[in-house]
Amino acid sequence: MKKNLGSKAFVLLALLYLYVPIFVLMVMGFNESRYNSLPFSFTLKWYQELAQDDVLLTATRNSLLIALVTGLACMVLGTLFILGHQALKNKGKQLARSFVMMPMSIPWLILGLSLLLMIRAVDLEKNLFFVLAGHIVISLPYTLLVLEARVQSLDQTLEDMSSSLGATAWTTFRRVTFPALAPAIVAGGFLSFMISFDNFPISYFLMPAGISTLPIEIQSSIKFGFTPEINAISTVIIGISLLCLAVVGLIMGKTFLGMIGGNKKNV
Amino acid sequence: MEHKKRRLLTLPAVGWLLVFTVLPLLIMLFYSVQADDGSGFTFANYLRFFSKGMYLKLTGRTIVWAVLVTVFSLLIAYPLAYILAKKLKGARGIILVLIIIPFFTNQLVRIYSWLIFLQDGGVLNRLLGALGLSSGDTLGILYTQAAVIIGLVHAYFPYMVITIYMALERMDDAMLEASASLGATKMTTFRRVVFPASMPGVVSGILIVFVPCLGTFVEPRILGGTDGMVIGTVIEDQFTELYGWNFGAAIAFLLLAMVLLSMMAISKWGRRYDV
Amino acid sequence: MKRNFLTRAGAGILSLVMLLGLAACGGDTNGETAGGGDSGEKTKLYVVNWKDYASDDKELMAAFEEEYNCEIVNTYMESEEQLLTSLKTASEGSIDVCLPNCTILPAAIEAGLLKEIDTSKLDNFFKLYERFQSQKECVGEDGKMYAVPFVWGSTAIAYNTELMSEAPTTLASLFDEQYAGKITIRDDYNDAVMAAAIVLGQDPAAPSDLDAIKDLLIKQKPLNRTYWQTGDEFSKLFAGGQIEFGMMWSGQAATMKNEGEPIAFVVPEDGAIGWVDNWAIASGSQNEELAYAFINYMISKDVQYNWATKGGPAPANQEAAEAVDPEYAAACGMDEDSLNRLYFMAYQDDATKAKWAELWTEVKAS
Repeated sequence: MKKNLGSKAFVLLALLYLYVPIFVLMVMGFNESRYNSLPFSFTLKWYQELAQDDVLLTATRNSLLIALVTGLACMVLGTLFILGHQALKNKGKQLARSFVMMPMSIPWLILGLSLLLMIRAVDLEKNLFFVLAGHIVISLPYTLLVLEARVQSLDQTLEDMSSSLGATAWTTFRRVTFPALAPAIVAGGFLSFMISFDNFPISYFLMPAGISTLPIEIQSSIKFGFTPEINAISTVIIGISLLCLAVVGLIMGKTFLGMIGGNKKNV
Repeated sequence: MEHKKRRLLTLPAVGWLLVFTVLPLLIMLFYSVQADDGSGFTFANYLRFFSKGMYLKLTGRTIVWAVLVTVFSLLIAYPLAYILAKKLKGARGIILVLIIIPFFTNQLVRIYSWLIFLQDGGVLNRLLGALGLSSGDTLGILYTQAAVIIGLVHAYFPYMVITIYMALERMDDAMLEASASLGATKMTTFRRVVFPASMPGVVSGILIVFVPCLGTFVEPRILGGTDGMVIGTVIEDQFTELYGWNFGAAIAFLLLAMVLLSMMAISKWGRRYDV
Repeated sequence: MKRNFLTRAGAGILSLVMLLGLAACGGDTNGETAGGGDSGEKTKLYVVNWKDYASDDKELMAAFEEEYNCEIVNTYMESEEQLLTSLKTASEGSIDVCLPNCTILPAAIEAGLLKEIDTSKLDNFFKLYERFQSQKECVGEDGKMYAVPFVWGSTAIAYNTELMSEAPTTLASLFDEQYAGKITIRDDYNDAVMAAAIVLGQDPAAPSDLDAIKDLLIKQKPLNRTYWQTGDEFSKLFAGGQIEFGMMWSGQAATMKNEGEPIAFVVPEDGAIGWVDNWAIASGSQNEELAYAFINYMISKDVQYNWATKGGPAPANQEAAEAVDPEYAAACGMDEDSLNRLYFMAYQDDATKAKWAELWTEVKAS
């Protein structure tokens, strides 16, 4: 017991570091000063202003929509790929994997700018399709990582058994493979959703004029006039996310924490 | 037959990446070898980069910062991952959730919070003052290299915790017991058993931190003050300010080359530990 | 057991995702259906301008928006160069009106990014000072007019009257080591090079010794708390007491003073940078008539006078300028004396610009 004391202290310190800006962020959302300056005096006015701030709310809605489409697209593309990938062998399998993981090793700045140059090269206007294309490119590898981890731990023999018992490929997929993959598909999609929702560089370079996303609004407000409304909306988003986590946790009970902890026994 | 057809399922993803990653990069490559006056092919953009000391200097600064961020992330992430995987098993679910929660806030907001926290007369300043740990009203952390490192480590180290944790968790505890029963000291067990086993996680953790750090362009500007310029901001300026798209494309390509080279080096180093 | 868990987990998260989706799709969808043009919907006038620069002042714009049943959509610029790049890359109709100054106007005109302006469509044009009616950078090489002067002002020094007992009276004080850590200058190559040239006694419009300028700026760099890029960044540095004085625009200093900040503006004895901001219509504009009405409104006596007294730079409209209280004008650097001390920005060709920009990068890389 005693020897874990050091461990506990370390975890606490790390969490403190992790949460310092989060606390500052939340607290300043309730602070009177427009410039986030001290001393602190409590107010709810930034939340009231947020409720009427169409620009910020519309941007948030746009972000959610883009993230949703990105998440769904990554789920579909990712699942198809991982199924096809299993059928590949040796060299081809290796090659296909490195290829789809490639966007992870390219800074987003460069991906965003190269897509911008592509739009120019084919003489198009900036449009939402390219924004989505970029978001899918950067998120897909993460979805695949999740799926891959799941596939590796899956029992290949189960599928083989199913087909040797005379099940068609479709039936095997529907009855065996898909249910086994489902949590990973959803988790992967969720990860893409998060990456897209938070993405600034890609949207910054590709967004058509007049449409913005939450990260773009945040960057612009850091430059041109930060108001604690940003703190307010960030706090709201954390709140909603926690609620979601709690709901999932409740539905799944203890296994949820086990799953996050990667405890094989529970999954 | 079945198998052959099934392979085709990889095509949508591969095709998507061909069209929206490979093709744009090729277009960027094309731009990078175009002359600004429209006279066609030239290496001038690349030569310009190497002919000026400042671009190399900024590249150097970028690399140093990325290395520092990676090292500090590792120093925090490795022990944390180890503790989660091997020591505080009971609480790890909840701790992992706690590590993930900050990701629900936008990264730029977190960076901006650091600015509020670190600035003179800001939260930290007053906190230290109240505790009697600091006198005077200047702290002098904001707008320095330290501020950039603090902000970037904060942004990226949780990814590393997750990759290393995943590697360590996969390791069988029986190996530890076996090692101990064979008379190995804790240190030896760590060096010969635990560390090699965690290597895949360490390598992907390093990559997942180092690569985006080389490409940052927003955070250094906010936290770094007069020294906040890195190679990413040079590229951004060329595209948004100076209309030097060809030159910007050339620098972007050099940055990409740098990223790929360092990735190769890191993976090669990681492979030495393969058991 | 296993299946049960998986289906429940899947269902749980899926329903969550759908909930998020509903939240996203729910609510009114009027936000992003750009353009429109239905009779019920207001026309949108897309303006690219500095932040807090009249066109985003709800009070000032209310009368215009009402009269023309339109909505002014502001996009903020960070620098002249960035405006030029946006003009070059903007899609049709995404910019109607913008506010370039002389450092980019000739380039924008030559590249065909602006529409010719028929001054006879602007009633208020003839109320501008005569020198502004024939502002040379607003006229293209074809002799036609492409922009209309709006306001003029200076990039000089603003200081905190509570923190500094004595006013800095020279531009050279921005380069004075005794103020190390209390200064901020703007992260802009044009301003930096011109200011250094003035201090070194070179002609800021055509500096002779760029190396000396570079050395001076490198020496000045550690004296800054940080460089500022946007007016808001300066406001925050100032309000938080992070700096005591710095390079600042006349207009924003006046605005901050009106907001109660302890700020004073100085056009130093050794000179400062002068500029004229001009309205222009982007060649891609789909709302030309409304754009004309907007410009005419912006140079009217009322708007010019009202904005000047609530913190804007100096009016180009003569009647408005003469109506401003002389004492206020002097405090905000709008008076004749200040005007005479200014070195007005001049257009630099691409090669010179590139040199200056590179010099500034070198300073920041040092």
